[in-house]
Amino acid sequence: MAEVELLRVTRRFGAETALQDLSMTVPDGAFVVLLGPTGAGKTTTLRMVSGLDSPDSGTVRIGGRDMAGLAPAQRDVAMVFQQYSLYPHLTVRENLEFPLKSPVLRTPREMIDRKVGEVAEILQISHKLDNRATALSGGEMQRVSIGRALVRNPAVYLMDEPLSSLDAKLRADLRVELKNIQAVSGATLLYVTHDQIEAMTMATHVGVLDRGRLVQFGTPREIYEDPVSLYAAGRLGQPRINVLPADTFAGAPPGAAYIALRPEHIAQGEGRESRVTRVEHLGDQTRLHLTLGGRDLVTVTDPHTALGAGDIVRIRPRDPLYFDAAGARLG
Amino acid sequence: MTHAPMEKLARATPRPVARRISGLSDRAIAWIFVAPSIFLLLAVNIFPLIWTVRLSFTDYRVNRPNRDVEWVGLRNYERILTDDGIWATMQATAHFLIWTLVLQVLIGFALAFLINRKFRGSDLWTTAIVLPMMLSPAVVGNFWTFLYQPQIGLFNYAIGFLTGADPASFSMIGDVALAPWAIIIADTWMWTPFVMLICLAGLRSIPESIYEAAECDRASKWRQFWTITIPMALPFLMLAVLFRGIENFKMFDLVVQLTGGGPGNTTTLTSIDLKREAFERWRTGYSSAYAVILFVTVFGLASIYVKALNKVKER
Repeated sequence: MAEVELLRVTRRFGAETALQDLSMTVPDGAFVVLLGPTGAGKTTTLRMVSGLDSPDSGTVRIGGRDMAGLAPAQRDVAMVFQQYSLYPHLTVRENLEFPLKSPVLRTPREMIDRKVGEVAEILQISHKLDNRATALSGGEMQRVSIGRALVRNPAVYLMDEPLSSLDAKLRADLRVELKNIQAVSGATLLYVTHDQIEAMTMATHVGVLDRGRLVQFGTPREIYEDPVSLYAAGRLGQPRINVLPADTFAGAPPGAAYIALRPEHIAQGEGRESRVTRVEHLGDQTRLHLTLGGRDLVTVTDPHTALGAGDIVRIRPRDPLYFDAAGARLG
Repeated sequence: MTHAPMEKLARATPRPVARRISGLSDRAIAWIFVAPSIFLLLAVNIFPLIWTVRLSFTDYRVNRPNRDVEWVGLRNYERILTDDGIWATMQATAHFLIWTLVLQVLIGFALAFLINRKFRGSDLWTTAIVLPMMLSPAVVGNFWTFLYQPQIGLFNYAIGFLTGADPASFSMIGDVALAPWAIIIADTWMWTPFVMLICLAGLRSIPESIYEAAECDRASKWRQFWTITIPMALPFLMLAVLFRGIENFKMFDLVVQLTGGGPGNTTTLTSIDLKREAFERWRTGYSSAYAVILFVTVFGLASIYVKALNKVKER
């Protein structure tokens, strides 16, 4: 287990800048989730740490050691690839054994068998161990590729959207399982995802990337409650944060161009009139789609609400966030 | 509007024809379409094969069509399988086959491995390496006879230069011990590029991401080569061996041009021997039996091999 530091890391691919002066410290034992849309530099960051790619400038340190010029094998990292990258000519068992069978390690046979058995159990692929890797479904392949990382005990785990192709139930199971493994083993984990539920539930820290720059780094709560920009605010929260012109409600500070309201930060009962356009009953909560001055809003309400489409609701902001015209946070 | 041209096309079929076709079932139409190919296949492949088998039990000679043909049963087969000369040509063929396969696969794979790393001008190199297989075997045979010339041959000069021996002191084509190697070297020069191309296709089929995964799994380059590159390229390698094996079993042109089967019978491969029996000595029945034996050998070996190949591919 080790701390990972990136210092002013820049990487260009031709004319395109994938990472721009990125500095970030992943504390020892932290579960850091990188958030951002496609092309934000999440995968590139992982590749910098893994050593599959090297920065044009800047430093990568793992456990305080400068990693410049070191191959992935020398960095003691385990990586889960988005496109699985299983060894297609090997069985599931052989795939899982592969990292342990390194000649330098000389892992004893019983140890390998025990490790592979444990990991297969956790990932629910025990019954597939003797199948060929190519004879699996997408979700199974992804679990094998996670397993290939978990059989080891590396300084850092790097995971590139490891749960993206699993069905909802398995994804929820594995989310809990991964978090448990990380919490128990104290492993340092750098994790890329699009899925904000994964970010909120698993991360100890979230790094928000925007076009190769790290725009905010903090706990999921900090990012959620105290985002530095509209961009960062939009990365977390489901339903998404509502963004309205600042003058929609009274009380905006000078310079504010936008007011942003989390769905739960819209109080009902008084304030401006809005019309209900749709009601979504999700079981544990109910979402209200409202329209206010021609703009759409989403809020949450009592699961057993009697409101229906066309009803008028008075709303006012509670704990609003204000942003200037460039999207930077005010106050 | 979009299917207007189709309608026009359909209407272009003359009415009587359309009526006749519409009276047939799909199956019948299918048979009509494949019938010409089946007929051709029967006429030029299957019938001659059966006829050859029939002739192999007779003493028929094609240059004496009016002579009475006698049914000799298995006597032709018996004579061939107990003929020391034929066993010698079989051995010469096996020697030629095994060594050309070993050398071509080793060198071809090594070249493919080197050229697979993208470097400046790698495409140009590929083209240059592939040139020999584009030449006519007769030309290649002819020009290796020059290279092997003891007095003026470049090959002899190069060997002499490297080992210090006198270039004129040995003759690749004239020496009983060297001639089998002369044809192996020439064939390897000509056909290694073919093996390289197939191996290259195999290597290019391995995704880069698998090597990246192996890097992260701490596999050394050596281990990556043996546990990923070789097993994943193996079906292609085996395919190359199959192609080259079948081709070289029936090798004729290059060797005839180069050594003419000599000195003595040292480079008389079965195909050359067979041609002499059939079209120089005109022992048609006897050579038919010879051909059947070769056919069964190649067919048997190839079938076993293809089974193994499919097994490897399934993995």
